[in-house]
Amino acid sequence: MSAGGEPAVAGGAVAPNKIIAFGILGGLIGIYAAHFLDSMISPVFSFMGALGAICAIVWGADAVRRVCSYGLGTGVPSIGMLALGMGVVASMFGLAVGGIAGPIIAFVSAAIIGLIIGVLANKVLGMNIPIMEQSMVEIAGAGALTIVGLSTTMAGTFMFEEVLTFVIAPGYIAVIFIAGGMGILHPFNACLGPDEHQDRTLTLGFEKGGIAMVIAGLVSAVAGSAAMLPTIMIGVFIWYTSFAKFYELTKRDSYKILGSGLLPSEEELQ
Amino acid sequence: MEPLIGMGVLALMGAAATVAGASEDLESDVGSQSNPNSQVQLAPQMMYPHRIYNKAISGEPPSNALMCAIGGTTASVLMTAYSMSPLFAIAMGALFAAIVHGSYSISAFLGRPASQKRFKQPVYLDVLRSHTPVIMGYSYITTFCILVVSYLMIAVLGHPFPLPLLAFIWGITVGAIGSSTGDVHYGAEREFQNVEFGAGLNAANSGNIVRTAESGLRNGIDNSWFCAKFGGPVTGIAFGMTVFLSGWVTTVFNPAASLTMGWLSVVAGVILVLIMIIWNRKIEVAARAAFGPYKEDEVAA
Repeated sequence: MSAGGEPAVAGGAVAPNKIIAFGILGGLIGIYAAHFLDSMISPVFSFMGALGAICAIVWGADAVRRVCSYGLGTGVPSIGMLALGMGVVASMFGLAVGGIAGPIIAFVSAAIIGLIIGVLANKVLGMNIPIMEQSMVEIAGAGALTIVGLSTTMAGTFMFEEVLTFVIAPGYIAVIFIAGGMGILHPFNACLGPDEHQDRTLTLGFEKGGIAMVIAGLVSAVAGSAAMLPTIMIGVFIWYTSFAKFYELTKRDSYKILGSGLLPSEEELQ
Repeated sequence: MEPLIGMGVLALMGAAATVAGASEDLESDVGSQSNPNSQVQLAPQMMYPHRIYNKAISGEPPSNALMCAIGGTTASVLMTAYSMSPLFAIAMGALFAAIVHGSYSISAFLGRPASQKRFKQPVYLDVLRSHTPVIMGYSYITTFCILVVSYLMIAVLGHPFPLPLLAFIWGITVGAIGSSTGDVHYGAEREFQNVEFGAGLNAANSGNIVRTAESGLRNGIDNSWFCAKFGGPVTGIAFGMTVFLSGWVTTVFNPAASLTMGWLSVVAGVILVLIMIIWNRKIEVAARAAFGPYKEDEVAA
């Protein structure tokens, strides 16, 4: 049984295709802008990578939301971890062999890994979720772009040498893995239920992306402190505005928000 | 390194891990995370609205991995880029991790009832205001202790992994142990004090959690008060033993000394595991003899 009532195919005000485009284009533009502006104008611009990662996180959260509405109650955290698991393999491979095309190769190889996992889940394990293959491709792609985006902000570039020195060897890849993964899985996990709304869930995606951005900004101090303050400040701004928006939407959607009080009476529950 | 210093460090790590395990379990109990969460989540659907903090961040291993990795990352950045003292860096890392954890707790607390509007579970802001600082406090203690364990492993015992990665791994471990050890105390007993001890969860009782306390309505802090008597400490002992014993075999039989020592450490580890299995079996049989027998129909249910 799905936690929170009948499994319904999740719809939403924003069509999946728009969010997919937002995630892919936003993610890649952010990553490349960070890389080029960083080397051409100023290292300050490496915060763009984290903005790209936020686009990917929101896309991933929407993909999780669509696939998990098929009754994957307790599977939501697992699918988020799976996303980053596929993403980390693909992004390391892509960045290591790709050079300047690294993020794109990472993204494509993530999509291939995702497709294989999706086919295995549906055909071999027999999960029979109609959108499984597409969702796995999306989730893996979002995971890969999240990792590359945050790594770019931390290292100032996505060139493998620097990423290896500033992100992987000092272990910061661990925090990318978990903060990115939680950004993708937590929004739907927190908003699970029959009265879930897309805008509220995705606002939470922005909020958790903001936290990941703050962390990436903090780590960028190791590679050079120029990008640290702008990245942290933009991250805190995104976090604050989306948190305020989330609270507003919670007030809109919840049955009642009470300062305090006793439980609803029997008559009220009828 | 002197073997005696190694043992001393190991004892310190074991002590820090014991505190981390206990605070991790109590943190999850205040917010009904993990094992007990599904029933707290289900209760309003079964017409049992409640005033218990429902914190579905994710499973405990990922959420603890998140706060420990954030703490480890912050501490590592402060030590590398700003040459801060380890103690101060670890304290700052734990503080930042606790703040992020608080944000995750709040969004989980607000999100679920809002997505269950039709079941008429109100969002109580006083519960939010009173419980979130407690959750953050416990998560601070957990992160701090995990970072102490990780830092000692690197600085004194010469572990090759960097601090954020080691903290991440210990975070997953403490979450997994807290989830499997301590939460059972809350999920199986505290939530269902209205049924016979050891009865198991009959399907008809799903969602029928105890919602009244010794005085007034029950909340998450009442639950942590109950779990602090047994579930929290037992999680602490389990995690402390895991850290201490897994380090003990390689400190006494140091694989770096010789190949024979390496094999002896493996043998010692296997013996320890065997002792644990036999010991656990004895406890289970004794508990069944003392509190059983479990009834057939309830097993079937």
